[in-house]
Amino acid sequence: MILKKEKAKILRKIKAAKSLKELEEFFKEAQKEIKNFTQKLKKLSLKQRKKVGREINLLKEKIEKEYLAKKEILKEKEEKKEEFFDITVPPKKIEIGSLHPITLVKNKVEEIFQSLGFEIVLGSEIEDEWHNFDALNIPPDHPARDVLSLGKTFYLENQKLMRSHTSSVQIRYMEKHNPPLKIVAPGKVFRKDAIDATHEIEFWQLEGLMVDKGISVSNFKAIMEEFLRKFFEKEMKMRLRPSYFPFTEPSFEVDISCVICNGKGCQTCKETGWIESGGAGMVHPQVLRNCKIDPREWQGFAFGMGLTRLAMLKYKIPDIRYFNSGDLRFLKQF
Amino acid sequence: MIFSYNLLKSFFKKKFPKPKELSEILTMKAFECEEPQKVGADFALNVDVLPNRPDCYSHFGLAREISVLINKKAKFPKWKLKEERKAKVEDFIKIKKQNVDSSICKRYCARVIFNVKVEESPKWLKDYLTICGFLPINNVVDITNFVMIYLGQPLHAFDFEKIEGKEIKVRWAKKGEKILTLDEETYELDEKIAIISDKEKPIAIAGIKGGKDSGISEKTEIVVLESANFEKSAILSSTRKLDLKTEASKRFEHGIPLSLAPFALDFAAYLLQKIAKGKIAKGKINILWEKERKKLVKFDSKKICQVLGVEISESQQLKILESLGFKKVKNNFLEIPDFRKDIVEIEDLAEEVGRVYGYEKIKPSFPKITLTFPEKDIQILWEREIKDILKSIGFVEVMNYSFLPEKAISLFGIPSQIVVRVKNPATFEFEFLRPTLLYRILENVKKNLPYFSEIKIFEIGKIFFRKNEEIVERNTLSGVITGEKFLELKGYLDTLFSKLGILNFWFDFYQSEPEILKEKLWNRIKCAEIKAGDEKLGIFGEISKDVLEYFKVQVPVFAFEIDLEKLMKVMKKEHEFKPYSFYPAIIRDISIICPQRTLTDEILQILENCGGENLVDVDLIDIYDIDEERKSLTFRLLFQHKERAIEPKEVEELMKKIFKEVEKNPYFEIRK
Repeated sequence: MILKKEKAKILRKIKAAKSLKELEEFFKEAQKEIKNFTQKLKKLSLKQRKKVGREINLLKEKIEKEYLAKKEILKEKEEKKEEFFDITVPPKKIEIGSLHPITLVKNKVEEIFQSLGFEIVLGSEIEDEWHNFDALNIPPDHPARDVLSLGKTFYLENQKLMRSHTSSVQIRYMEKHNPPLKIVAPGKVFRKDAIDATHEIEFWQLEGLMVDKGISVSNFKAIMEEFLRKFFEKEMKMRLRPSYFPFTEPSFEVDISCVICNGKGCQTCKETGWIESGGAGMVHPQVLRNCKIDPREWQGFAFGMGLTRLAMLKYKIPDIRYFNSGDLRFLKQF
Repeated sequence: MIFSYNLLKSFFKKKFPKPKELSEILTMKAFECEEPQKVGADFALNVDVLPNRPDCYSHFGLAREISVLINKKAKFPKWKLKEERKAKVEDFIKIKKQNVDSSICKRYCARVIFNVKVEESPKWLKDYLTICGFLPINNVVDITNFVMIYLGQPLHAFDFEKIEGKEIKVRWAKKGEKILTLDEETYELDEKIAIISDKEKPIAIAGIKGGKDSGISEKTEIVVLESANFEKSAILSSTRKLDLKTEASKRFEHGIPLSLAPFALDFAAYLLQKIAKGKIAKGKINILWEKERKKLVKFDSKKICQVLGVEISESQQLKILESLGFKKVKNNFLEIPDFRKDIVEIEDLAEEVGRVYGYEKIKPSFPKITLTFPEKDIQILWEREIKDILKSIGFVEVMNYSFLPEKAISLFGIPSQIVVRVKNPATFEFEFLRPTLLYRILENVKKNLPYFSEIKIFEIGKIFFRKNEEIVERNTLSGVITGEKFLELKGYLDTLFSKLGILNFWFDFYQSEPEILKEKLWNRIKCAEIKAGDEKLGIFGEISKDVLEYFKVQVPVFAFEIDLEKLMKVMKKEHEFKPYSFYPAIIRDISIICPQRTLTDEILQILENCGGENLVDVDLIDIYDIDEERKSLTFRLLFQHKERAIEPKEVEELMKKIFKEVEKNPYFEIRK
């Protein structure tokens, strides 16, 4: 009897619980109340104690029943609530660094040539006239010397200069090593030019050299095709056209099928289906002699490729000026 | 060089390839050729004749080449010269052999044509010249230009009346002499410039350009036609000195056969007779200092196959070479045609055979060679490693120009005597070789700040400076981070060095910079030297306010510059595993109040000395300023025993020892 008011209050509270957390709280409170009631029983007469005791037990059962029922309902409700989750919220920005596209291309090219048995060789960026010109069969009165030296080469004091091609590394290496030779040399080169979308004063080249007994044009074709296939990760067509470099004989222009249109013809390849990838040729006997290698015994090929150009082709970068721009909107894409 | 398709075609009687087809044949077997452009009834062919093939700097020469490529005969049209009987060339002009300097000219030919009527050229002549990029002037000048593009021999026409003393000399100019050329330019001459002169004064710059006074005008009636073979070296000397190149000088620079001069002269005289109604004086001046020697090259069909890597029979090789003008003489030697000065040895023949045979017919094959294992260059591996670590801790790699403007040198306070200047810079922006990577990197910061809240970039590249009169080139690593981030940057460097296996690195107070002093670059208060043992590897710290102000950068910037070559010397290739304890650890924090100017390192030393081997880690977890004089440093200490669980009692003992030691310093106080 004394319990009626209390009883209704407790049950109402449990029924009205809005969340599982609230329900647990109310249920604990209720259990406390019951404990209080039980403790009060001691003060009552035996008869009353029996009656009230029964009432308490009933209430206890009722509370538990209500609690369990409500728990089911709330659980279901809350699970349903959890079923919704917005995955379209934009992601948190996770910053990691990035490497320059030239580094990426250089690493890849180096790995491919290493797998073909070539050694990677480094050279210095400051050169002398002998290694940049004379030893490469470009003597001072040679018309090509004027084109390369006066017009395009940066001169420093004491006839030193900034190398205008990586071919100088060939000479440095051959002066110190005896054949057989298999090297590639990546590096920066410097040309005096007006900077525009296709011209830079500073860009990257890769020089290759293979000298052994009986190395031929046919061998060059095989090595180059293998490289192109591995680099562009697809079958690539390649063709050689006659060209002229003082340090190779025969000399070629190496064309590859246009990577943009796959040889169908587009703006990049001027509708020809071919793009120039670099120069090559059989090492000129005079160059071998300049390095004290007997051309009757040894022969081989040399090639030069623009690493910057390879990067432009691989990543479809339309303007050479991006590379030295330091623009993070460009660099962070790699 | 631009060629007229119709003029090329005129050498062939039979079927000739269409313009497009011809350009493809040329591209694949001789010279790159652009898409033919239709001009009236003709096509202009822009052919990139290779510099070692001056024999093709004319329609006649290119037609000779084409005839080999398409396997059809090229024929020179028939013509006949009619000389006057009464007037002799010697009656007009005197040219003495000793007056032709043999260091300038090996062959000097001339004819005199009189009764010439100078007027506009006929249309066909003007059309050919126009398509090849020449401006028609009058019939005499046009004929000399036409013969040059037709046969490859530059000619010059003088007005006879203007030649003083009726005498021609070929000599080096004297200092003080001057000439006004056809295009109204005055050139100062000297001993390095070869000229044609009359009795007194220069009348032309030999092989380059004619003088205005002696040039052909409407009044000219008697023409002296010069066809000479000037020495390459003389022409190069003049063109370099005058910085002047012409169509004629280009041809002499590359070399012209001695036999061409009299032939071209006669052909031009024939045209003058036909077109300008001139009469040709009998005979020609023909001064020859030296005869062309026949040159031989050894023919070895096996070597050619070996170079190309394809089997081509000896007879097929010979057939190709003979069609190119080579003649077989005894003992397997070939006589080289006089117009092919580029041919010297067997490799040159391999090229001729290869390209005419067709490079596309050579099948790729891998070389059968000695198996060698490529050596790996440590420097390359380390550079990659460094780049990868920096990338993984959030740095973006940049690559910048190796050249700096003068402003950079003064801004950073770099002593000018160590800086290397480019003699012929691209522009003033690129005048000096960079003695530091940081100028361009700070430019990068400025450029990117509007778009990014934080910038973390690095570069690996060469720096250049002068040391003991030598130019040194040194591989360098530099980078920056924006914001008040001294400790972060120190942390990044700490991680980098640890990952590179450098065990003995430490940061010292800034005293001086290794090698290149950049006086105004650093804020010396927040700046430290990076050392490994006693060796200075580089510097890191805050960029000075003045420098940032110059770049208009308004956030603090912290930078580092490290000598990569020194760094690589202290890197360790192999990592060694360091054993660690498996037993539970006990953690204690300690806060110490000390004067503001106390170095954290001083307290760390005390902690580490007292803690001994059981103190395995110390972290500074909090710094806060109590007042102007004092700060509080809180350290977290981790105690652990190698072989067993450490007892709390032991830790208490160690802590007591630490307290005692710290409080020995009257300025230090333990916060409890």
